[in-house]
Amino acid sequence: MKRKSPPRWQIALLLCICLIAVATPLLPLANFSTMQPQQTLVAPQITTAPYLGTDAQGRDMLARLLWGARISLSVGLFGTLVALLIGVPFGAVAGLGSARRDNILMRVADALESIPMVVFILFMLSILQEYRIELASIGFGRLQLFFFAIGLLFWLPTARVVRAECKRINKMGFVDAARSQGMSQWLLFKRHVLPQLWPSIGSMLIITLPRVILMEAFLSFLGLGVEAPAVSWGRLASDGMATLNPLVDAGWLLYLPSLALVGCLLLFQSLARWARDYVNLDA
Amino acid sequence: MINVLRRLAFAVLNILLVHAVAFFMLHNTRGGPFDSNRQLSPETLAALEQRYQLNEPLVTQYLNSIKGLATLDFGPSLQYQGTSVQQLLADAIPTSLGLGLGALIIALVIGLWAGVYCTVSRSKWKATLLRLSSSSLLATPNFVLAGILISIFAFKLRMLPVAGHAQLSSWILPCLALGLPLAAQLFVLVSHHASQAKTSNAYRSALARGLSASALRNNYVLRPSLTPVLAFIGPATAGILTGSLVIEQIFSLPGLGTFFVQAALARDYTLALGVTVVYTATLSCCTFIADVLIMKFDPRNEAV
Repeated sequence: MKRKSPPRWQIALLLCICLIAVATPLLPLANFSTMQPQQTLVAPQITTAPYLGTDAQGRDMLARLLWGARISLSVGLFGTLVALLIGVPFGAVAGLGSARRDNILMRVADALESIPMVVFILFMLSILQEYRIELASIGFGRLQLFFFAIGLLFWLPTARVVRAECKRINKMGFVDAARSQGMSQWLLFKRHVLPQLWPSIGSMLIITLPRVILMEAFLSFLGLGVEAPAVSWGRLASDGMATLNPLVDAGWLLYLPSLALVGCLLLFQSLARWARDYVNLDA
Repeated sequence: MINVLRRLAFAVLNILLVHAVAFFMLHNTRGGPFDSNRQLSPETLAALEQRYQLNEPLVTQYLNSIKGLATLDFGPSLQYQGTSVQQLLADAIPTSLGLGLGALIIALVIGLWAGVYCTVSRSKWKATLLRLSSSSLLATPNFVLAGILISIFAFKLRMLPVAGHAQLSSWILPCLALGLPLAAQLFVLVSHHASQAKTSNAYRSALARGLSASALRNNYVLRPSLTPVLAFIGPATAGILTGSLVIEQIFSLPGLGTFFVQAALARDYTLALGVTVVYTATLSCCTFIADVLIMKFDPRNEAV
C-alpha cells in the first residue's frame, strides 16, 4: 500500500509557531505583564502600537499571546513526555510479560480509567500542592508539578498501544530466535523490540500532544492552570470569557487566544491523523 | 445470559474498587474538612470529628462508608452542615440529567445525520465543509464554544437567555455547547465506518439488486456503523450525564458538576465520595447497557 506523504505545509507552519515561541524573549515586544491603567480594553489596531489591542488591565495582547504560546506548547510537550515515560514502560512490561502479569496490569489500567478524570486531576494537583515546599527544595516548581499531573492523566492510551505492539512484535520469528539463543529479557527488549516500537511511540507523541494542550485550557478555565503572572492560551481564553459581557464589547479577548489555540490544535490534528495512518494505529 | 451476569458482577466490583481508591486518596491528602473555617478550638474540632466519626481508625471509617454505600446512604455532608449528601445529590441530578439528555439528543441527531450524509452525498465541497467544521469543533475547548455561542446568540442577536434554567429556551445554549463537540466525535466515527460499509460486498450486491437509495442508506450504510456508535456512546453518555462542570458553571446551572471541584477542594469526604460513586455507577451502567444493546443488535458479539 502506498503511504500518504506527510502534511508538509502544516509541519512548516507548526515549526514557524514553535520558532516564534522560542524566540519570543528576543523580540521587541511590550512587557506581557505590565499593566497600563490608562490604556485598558483598546481594540486591535493592526497597524499601530497595541497591534492586537489590550486587555482589561491594559496589558499588551500580542505579547501575552506570544508568551502564552511558550507555556501552552511546553505544557503540551512536557506533559506528553511524562505520559510517554509512564505509558511506554507500563505497556512494555504488560505486553512482554507472562499472561498473568499482563492480565493483572491491564485490569489495573481498566480500573484507573474508570476513576473520573476530573476528580483524579484535582486530587493530584491538591496533593502536589500540599507537598510543594518539599518539592520546591528539589527544584520542582509549580509549572513542573503541572507537567507531571497532566502527564499522569494521559499515559493510559499510550500504555495500551505499546502493549499491543509489544505483543505483536513478541510473536515475530527473529524475537523467538533471539530468545531461544538465551538472550536476557532486557537485552531482548533493547535490541529487538524497542527499535520496532519507535514509530508507534512517535505517533503517540503527536496524538497525545493536542489532547494535553486542550486539557491545559480546560484546567485553566477551572482555575487550576498555570499561576499568574504566567500566561497560557487557555488562561487568556478563560480571561476573555470572564470579560464577556453584553455592555463591554471586548470580543477580541476571547477570539484571539481561541483562534491561536484552535488553529494550532487543528495543525497538530492533521499531523496526528497522518501519523496514525502511517503506523496503522487504532488510538 | 451468563455473559450479562458476568458483566454486571464486573460493574459492581468496579464501583467498589473506585470507591476504595477514592476513599483512601481523599483521606490521605493533607488538610481536613474543617480547615477553612475560622480558627477552631481543639475541643470544638474534636467534637466535630467525634460527630462525623472522623476520629475512628481509617479502616473502621472505610467499613462504615461501605455499609453506607450498600444502603445508598452516604451520610451527612461535611461542608454543607445539616444537609445529607443524598439530599444534595438528589437536588442536583435532575439538572445534570436534563442537560445531558438534551446534549445527547443533539449529538446523536447531528452526528448520525452528518456522518451518513457525508458518505452518501456526491457533493465534495459539502463533505469537506462538514469534515472541516467537525475538526474545528474537536479542537475547540468547551468553554470557548460556550463563549462564542453566548456572544453570538445571547449578546449580538439577543435571541436566547444567557443563563438560568427557568424557561425552556435557556436550555438551548448549554445543550448545544455540550452536544456539539460530541456530535463532531460521532461524525468522525460514523463517517469512518459508513465509508467502510460502502465498500463492502453486501453494499455492492444490494446496489446491484436495485434497492432504493433510502433503503441502501438506512440498511447498508447506517446500520452497520451503529455498533461502533453504541460502543462509543456508552461511556460518553456517562460523562455527559454527570454534567460537564464547565458548562454548568458558565450557564450557572445547579448540577452535579459544581460538587466535583468544590467537594474535593474542601475535603468534604462524604460529598466527594458520593459524587464519585454516582459518576462511576453511571459510567458502569451506561457501558453495561451499551454492551447488552450491542449483543442484541449484532449477534456476532454474543460469542465473545
